[in-house]
Amino acid sequence: MIEFKGVSKTYPGMDTPVVRDLSFTIEDGEICVLVGPSGCGKTTSMRMINRLIEPTEGEILIDGQDNTSMSGTQLRRKIGYAIQQTGLFPHRTIADNIGTVPGLLGWDKARIASRADELLDLVGLAPDQYRDRYPAELSGGQQQRVGVARALAADPPVMLMDEPFGAVDPITRDRLQNEFLHIQEDIKKTIVFVTHDIDEGIKMGDKIAILKEGGILAQYDTPENILVKPASEFVQSFVGGDRVLKRLSLTRVGDVDLEPANGNGNALPRINAEWTLRDALSEIIGAGADRGLVVTDGESNGGSRGAITLDSIRKISHGAVVPRG
Amino acid sequence: MDSADDPPTSTLAFLFQAEFASEEQQQKGFIDWEWLGENFTEDVVPAFLQHIYLCAVALAIALAISLPLGILAARYRGLYGPFTAITGFFYTIPSFAMFIFLLAIGFSVGVTPAIIALVLYSLLILIRNVVTGLDSVPPETKDAARGMGLTDRQILWRVELPLALPVIVAGMRIAVVTVIGIAVIASYIGGGGLGTLIFSGITRNFPTLYVTGAVLATLLAISADLLFVRTERLLSPWAHRTRGAR
Ligand SMILES: Nc1ncnc2c1ncn2[C@@H]1O[C@H](COP(=O)(O)OP(=O)(O)OP(=O)(O)O)[C@@H](O)[C@H]1O
Ligand SMILES: [Mg+2]
Repeated sequence: MIEFKGVSKTYPGMDTPVVRDLSFTIEDGEICVLVGPSGCGKTTSMRMINRLIEPTEGEILIDGQDNTSMSGTQLRRKIGYAIQQTGLFPHRTIADNIGTVPGLLGWDKARIASRADELLDLVGLAPDQYRDRYPAELSGGQQQRVGVARALAADPPVMLMDEPFGAVDPITRDRLQNEFLHIQEDIKKTIVFVTHDIDEGIKMGDKIAILKEGGILAQYDTPENILVKPASEFVQSFVGGDRVLKRLSLTRVGDVDLEPANGNGNALPRINAEWTLRDALSEIIGAGADRGLVVTDGESNGGSRGAITLDSIRKISHGAVVPRG
Repeated sequence: MDSADDPPTSTLAFLFQAEFASEEQQQKGFIDWEWLGENFTEDVVPAFLQHIYLCAVALAIALAISLPLGILAARYRGLYGPFTAITGFFYTIPSFAMFIFLLAIGFSVGVTPAIIALVLYSLLILIRNVVTGLDSVPPETKDAARGMGLTDRQILWRVELPLALPVIVAGMRIAVVTVIGIAVIASYIGGGGLGTLIFSGITRNFPTLYVTGAVLATLLAISADLLFVRTERLLSPWAHRTRGAR
């Protein structure tokens, strides 16, 4: 659990704070997304948690303990840290990069090596192929995977991630996001995730903290609630005019009650149960139909689970509650 | 220092003895191979070794001074100006003038003023390259290092200096070539080395001597340069791998 208690930050030589009286609590095992326009203090807020930046006012508690109760370096070794530019050490191999914090913590060599292999596997890079390469010999997306693996190395309960998937193309980013969410299902870390992209925030966050100019917390809630009940005009405009559609992207087709697939399903568009309602809507409208046939991966014909109709999607978009996930 | 003083003295002594024979030797063509064969181990090799000794000691001392100063200047920017102004001043003094100044302020002829001069000439290049090298370390790399809990000292030794190494070695390469050249002139104030061969060769119009000296100085410069290139490749393999996977 991470608690911000009245945290403010004013940089030396500036007269207005860039983070103002920030108070909120991040629950264990949750991804908390800090989102907001550029310069609103997301990075500053995140970096105060591991004391790369010291607050000018207030305190931050991690599991009830003031984060100033130990030295900054001790603290940082217990908190995973991943950034957009990855900051991988160019002169160290991938395995050595991943082994950085375990090395600082004094693990023995064999344990570090097997941990590096395990993590490479986890982030989808074949250890045999990648462990002895240098970062420059990897693509941007692969480097970001290694960045995440390195942050996970010593199995820290808390992770700080500053736009960790920011420097790659949209398709790769989407894949990295999905993979990371998948990993998070198992590892259940407490994660502070900074992004300026509200769509990424909605996708990744269990909770979203929207900051506005001057480092003021505009709303802190679940993605669902932020989309349904934006607390202010700022939040509403930041979330965007398509918030109804965004809300549809929170729900997967497979999680909705389907209607029986009657009649000739052959003419209907095929909807993968893994897709979001937003994708389904797009597909159905695109095919000029009023319903789609829901299939599961690998069974494009036959084996249909049922049909999803425009009507049911409309109802959900108007607030019929669908459990998330 | 005493033992280091020996070779030049003996070489000089030899040169004076050899003087009366020089007329006769001139008859034997531009390069007197016979003379060279007879005197190689006795006179040429010691001069060559003395030259290497002068340059190596000077570079080692210069590096020992430049590294901390460069690290300081990279941290505290205000120091960079004064450091480069002072070492830049040393660098611009003509080498002859430098030796004369050193004698004028009380150094006696020998290896010491020679080494001091060589050190002073190297400082500018080395300090500049240490600072440039440290500056070339990507800020996000340092940030990630700090974010993972490395101490400032660990960041310096494990991240900054290794990453600055190629640039520092590039500075060493320029410095070593400069120093090998200037060390030739240092023989005038008793530093010994290949300059002894070259200058007595010229004075006595005995090409065998000065050509040998010049060729060896050139070979030395080239091989020192190659040695640094090799060492750097060995120490920084990461900087030389081509971008592979994609
Ligand atoms: N070291 C610093 N010294 C002075 N001002 C700073 C410093 N770091 C950040 N700032 C200022 O503080 C404000 C917040 O910066 P911060 O990096 O936290 O924003 P951000 O929300 O992460 O923005 P972005 O989305 O562009 O990354 C900005 O106005 C920035 O100019
Ligand atoms: Mg930022």
